[in-house]
Amino acid sequence: MSLNFDPSYALEFDFGRGQIRMANAGERVVVPCDALLALCQGASEDAVRDFGRRLGTEAGRVMNDRLGEAWQASLETVLEHLGGELALMGLGSLGLERWGQALVLSFSHSPLGWAGDLLLGSVLEGAMQRSFGRDTVAIKLMRDDQKVRFLMAGRSGADKAGGWLSQGVPWGDVLSRLATRGAS
Amino acid sequence: MSQDVQKLQELLTRVQRNAALPRTLVSPSLLQAAPVQAAPVQAAPVQAAPVQAAPTPPRAAFEAPPAVAYSAPAYTAPISEIREEQVFFDSAPPAPYVQKFPSEPVVQVSAPLDASVDDLLLEDPFPSVPPAPSYNDVLEEEPIPLVSVASPRPIDHDDDVSGVVAISFGEDQPEELLEDDIVEMTSAEAELPAPHHALDELNFGDEPMDDKPADSIDEEPPASSSRSRIAGTMDEALARAAEQIEMEEGREVPLKTPPPESGPQAATGLPEGIHAPLPPDIEELLEADIMPSGGVHAAVPTPGQLGQTIDLEEARGPSLELDQPPVFKPEPLQDDLPSEELEVTLPGREFIGGYQDGLMPPPEARQELDAHRQRVGDDSLLPPESGSEYPSQQPHAPTSGFAPVMPSSVTTDSHSERVSMVTVDAPSNVEFAPELLARPDINPSPVAKFIRIEVPRPKTFMELLDSSLALGSD
Repeated sequence: MSLNFDPSYALEFDFGRGQIRMANAGERVVVPCDALLALCQGASEDAVRDFGRRLGTEAGRVMNDRLGEAWQASLETVLEHLGGELALMGLGSLGLERWGQALVLSFSHSPLGWAGDLLLGSVLEGAMQRSFGRDTVAIKLMRDDQKVRFLMAGRSGADKAGGWLSQGVPWGDVLSRLATRGAS
Repeated sequence: MSQDVQKLQELLTRVQRNAALPRTLVSPSLLQAAPVQAAPVQAAPVQAAPVQAAPTPPRAAFEAPPAVAYSAPAYTAPISEIREEQVFFDSAPPAPYVQKFPSEPVVQVSAPLDASVDDLLLEDPFPSVPPAPSYNDVLEEEPIPLVSVASPRPIDHDDDVSGVVAISFGEDQPEELLEDDIVEMTSAEAELPAPHHALDELNFGDEPMDDKPADSIDEEPPASSSRSRIAGTMDEALARAAEQIEMEEGREVPLKTPPPESGPQAATGLPEGIHAPLPPDIEELLEADIMPSGGVHAAVPTPGQLGQTIDLEEARGPSLELDQPPVFKPEPLQDDLPSEELEVTLPGREFIGGYQDGLMPPPEARQELDAHRQRVGDDSLLPPESGSEYPSQQPHAPTSGFAPVMPSSVTTDSHSERVSMVTVDAPSNVEFAPELLARPDINPSPVAKFIRIEVPRPKTFMELLDSSLALGSD
């Protein structure tokens, strides 16, 4: 298992056929970002979620192919390879934060902006499902100009955090409450 | 008439004295040019010059009488006035010299073989005595020095056939005149007859002079000697002495060091106002030493001891007067003890080791003393017993507990200093002395406990994901 992600020859441009292929994967289509966003904005939430999960599943699968046994992979290794695959899709730079027992994943410099946050969350859910076989819910904690944070939680925890966030509880307090309630 | 006779006598004495002076050498060239009759040729010690090196002399030189080493000017009749041109150039001047190389070897006129070496050595080219004047000069009206005859032209060495160094009468070689050489010549001297003996009669050689009287030879001083001739008569001696005195009065002594053969040199006089230090008077010095220190001359130094004493000016400003301090008279401490200077008697024996019982230490001192006693822990050092107010303190075992101390007031001297001094004023009516207690030692123990709860870091991403999924679940 290699720790570093090697993107060499990850994409293959076949100009004769007019195709772009990804290594160990199928054909890719390079589309404009605003066109994709317009499509996502016009689609239903479930359609966007489904679209995103499919993207994540594909990234999880490739990572598993690279890592072999992903369930034994460390935090750094998962971050390195999963982040590499998502970077090849052009979705942004993946980050990992640990707040106590809570796992927080983030995207920086995403070209989709705030309109693509639902899509990005769905990508992460599909990757966790494909790589680790866990059903997770990505709860958007915060968003600024450069970064968007998602709490990877279970279903019950996602409901509580969503409720506190809708109540205006700061995302730091949400994490503290989840940690306190979880510890108690 | 008597004056004329006196003048004639003086002139006679001078002529006689001058006649006794040695005569000088005259160069042949000068003799040739001079309109004087050459003296008979004597044994002329002409030194033969080298044939090749010596230039050929002019023909006139060969026709002229051979050069003579010693030739005195012949006596001529008195002439009222003779000029120098007549003296030196009556005859035709010598023809200009033209060097000719004769085909035949030049016959060099040599000196006779019988000429002795002594004759050559006796020739003094630089005589200490100036040459005698010619009689032509003597007969002049004005008194002139005998050596004032000047050569009209510089003597050329080419004309010196004989090889004898010519004596120059020019101004370039000043002659040192002696006293006897200076003779005043008056007009009356011209009328005097010729001396009774001519200069040519003088014999400067080694040849004995049989025809001359012995006394004249004895009286002749040597050529190299400056000794004057001995006076013949008393009048002559007196006249010479008077003349010498007159000459010494107006004589200027040369400052430069004379040659050793010139005889004693007269010391130059010191300027006026400067004189050599006088020798100390030994007797006066001895008397000064013999005199006692408190004597009359003790406070007054002698002028010799003063030397160059500089008198200082008196100080300017107001005059200060110093009062005479009163005489200190120490009073005797005890009348019974003998009074000695600078001696202080100690107190008597009755004051040693005792003090009054009624004296009480001040309360501040007592506190400090108690504190010091506690620090030292020396129980043996007890304060002095005072039976007035405080009971006598007895040594007692230290109390295990803390006794309360109730000071009346507590003041702090300084708040700014790091160590402030706390003064506890004990009430005056307290029966017991204040007791200072120290805080018991506390064993080192942790004052606070900080518990750091470290969450175990998940080893794998799967563990963190599971823990995060577990959040919020009941």
